[in-house]
This record gives sequence, structure tokens and C-alpha cells, in this order.
Amino acid sequence: MIAEILKEIRPEFDFTASSDFIADGMLDSFDMMTLVSALDKQYGVSIDGTDIVPENFKNLQTIETLLRKSGARL
Amino acid sequence: MQRVDTVDQVFTAIQRVKSNAPAFCTNFFPWERKLRGWIDHAELFGEFRDEVAFFMRKDRDFWHLYFCAAGGETLKRGIALLTDLKKEPVVVDLIGNESASNELAVLIESGEFRPYRRFHRMARTGLAHVQPSGANGSPVVYADRADAPTILNLLCHSFDRYAEQLPMLYEIETAIDNRQVLVAKHEGTLAGLLFFETQGFTSMLRYWLVSERFRAFRFGSALMYGYFTTQKTVRRFVLWVLTGNENAIQKYQHYGYVADGLVNLVLANQIIRA
Repeated sequence: MIAEILKEIRPEFDFTASSDFIADGMLDSFDMMTLVSALDKQYGVSIDGTDIVPENFKNLQTIETLLRKSGARL
Repeated sequence: MQRVDTVDQVFTAIQRVKSNAPAFCTNFFPWERKLRGWIDHAELFGEFRDEVAFFMRKDRDFWHLYFCAAGGETLKRGIALLTDLKKEPVVVDLIGNESASNELAVLIESGEFRPYRRFHRMARTGLAHVQPSGANGSPVVYADRADAPTILNLLCHSFDRYAEQLPMLYEIETAIDNRQVLVAKHEGTLAGLLFFETQGFTSMLRYWLVSERFRAFRFGSALMYGYFTTQKTVRRFVLWVLTGNENAIQKYQHYGYVADGLVNLVLANQIIRA
């Protein structure tokens, strides 16, 4: 599901093939904000402002960890 | 404002504001590498409180103002207390979608700022089918360090320093070292340039220009072709263009760029003339 949301934001990239979306230039600061809104809506959570840092959006695993921390049931 | 000496100071100030933030708002999206450059060159200053952090970056003869605030009203009150805004030329960049940027603009304008320029972002994905232009035998090559002062001079004479985030000499030299500046030369003279920043699969075209007297030589298309062909692994190309610059917009559309919905509103304080 996370990969699908990412694909909607940036359809040109294969997010399953990268371990660092930021270093690979696949997500920028604005994409991160769009992603947070989409994740909040999809998972019924509110990701804390202090958690919106690049380290939490590096790859599918770190995003999943962030969602769990924010109370999402995956 | 106090000079900022470390990257940690910046992130600590931002985190402090975020932790008290019912409606966090910011125009500050710093990449660590860029921050280090500003700090190393003593360009960055800050004023931090619990609910708002302001940063000012020295750029030639004026300043860029960045903010992180817990909410709109906090930002408005904070700006009203910034005494530097009364005596220094200052610009603010607001980046986001149209409605979010306009909401922030109203708050900033209450601090005696006015709309100055508006840019919008254009993007293209995948590799375009761009044909080589054949630039009268003048090759497009990577710039070398000796070109840096000429490049700086060309940029300063061609673009609005308040609105275009022009690089300093050291930033141009770094870009040249990273092979992110292409130049077209005609009989030893630098006729045009294309300055870009590539990070992984994304590349931002920052400046593309040809000197007026060389505009009949098709160096512009040669540079663009050189750009696309040297960035073979890039899948997403982006750039910012001045809204209303139809000539440039049409050129970018020709190369496959389309507006992607992000805007950059530049506001200037009263010390900067319209």
C-alpha cells in the first residue's frame, strides 16, 4: 500500500528498487509533505510534525516504522 | 540576529518550534550540504524563540528570510518584531501549492512585504526524444574552474538577483567540480551555459542562457541536448520559470516540460524597489 501511494505521487520511479529515496532524488521536501497527507488519510493517523524528517522517509521500511509509531495498524 | 555556527543549531531550533506546533508553517527546507556551505561562509544568522525561528541568509547586498513557526498568528507576530526588516533589503520565498503559498503570503505581507515575482515549477519525466542541434561546430563541454568568474558575471547580468537565488562564486566552483555546469564556447568565448543540480534520479535545471550576441548560433538547443544526453540516468527533470515569461515557457514546453502545480512566490520588503 505504501508503495502504491508513493507511485501515485511519483509514478516515474520504482520505489521498491531503492533503499534511499532521498539520496536517489526520488522524493523532495514537497513530496514528503504530500506523502504525509496521503498517509494520514489512508491510515487514519496524524504523523507528528517532529517526525517529518528525511530519515523517516528514506525507504519503505522507515516509512512503515513511522506509521506504526504514529499508531497505524499495518 | 546571531550568527549560526553549526548545522545542529539549525535543526535544534526547527525541532523546538515543531514540538510546540499546532499548525507548523515554514519556508525553510534546508539540505544539510547547502546549510554547511552557508555556515562555512558565515552567511547564516538566526533568531530563535519557542514558537518561531527566523533565519536570515546574506546574499550579496541583501538577505533571504526563512521562518519556521508554530502557526500563522505566531509568524505574523514574530515578523512584526524583527527589527532587521526595517533597515535591510530582504526577500522571502514561499514555495508550495497555490493556495498554501497565498495563505502564507498574506501573513508575510502584513510585515510590510509586497509581491515581487512569481515562479512556477515545470517538470518532465523520462528521456525526451531530443534531436542534436548541430551548433555550428562549437562544442558543448563541461565548464572548468577558470570559467567560474565569467559564469558568475553572465548570471548576474542576465537574472534578477533578488528573485533567482543566484549562486556565489564558491557555489559555481563546486558545481563545476561536480560536473553540473555545461558551457558552449565560440572561438574561446563563453557563449552560453546550462547550470543544473542532479541528485539521484532527479535533476533541476537552474540556469540556461546564451549571451545575446550568440543567439543565432543555436547554442541554446545544443546546451539542452548536452544536458539531456549527459544525464542519462535521470528520470525526472524539474525547473522553475518566471510566470509570464512566455518565451522561456514555450521553449521548456518544447523540451517536454509541463507545469506541475508548485509555485514560488517571492516577496520583497519596502527597501527593495519594484
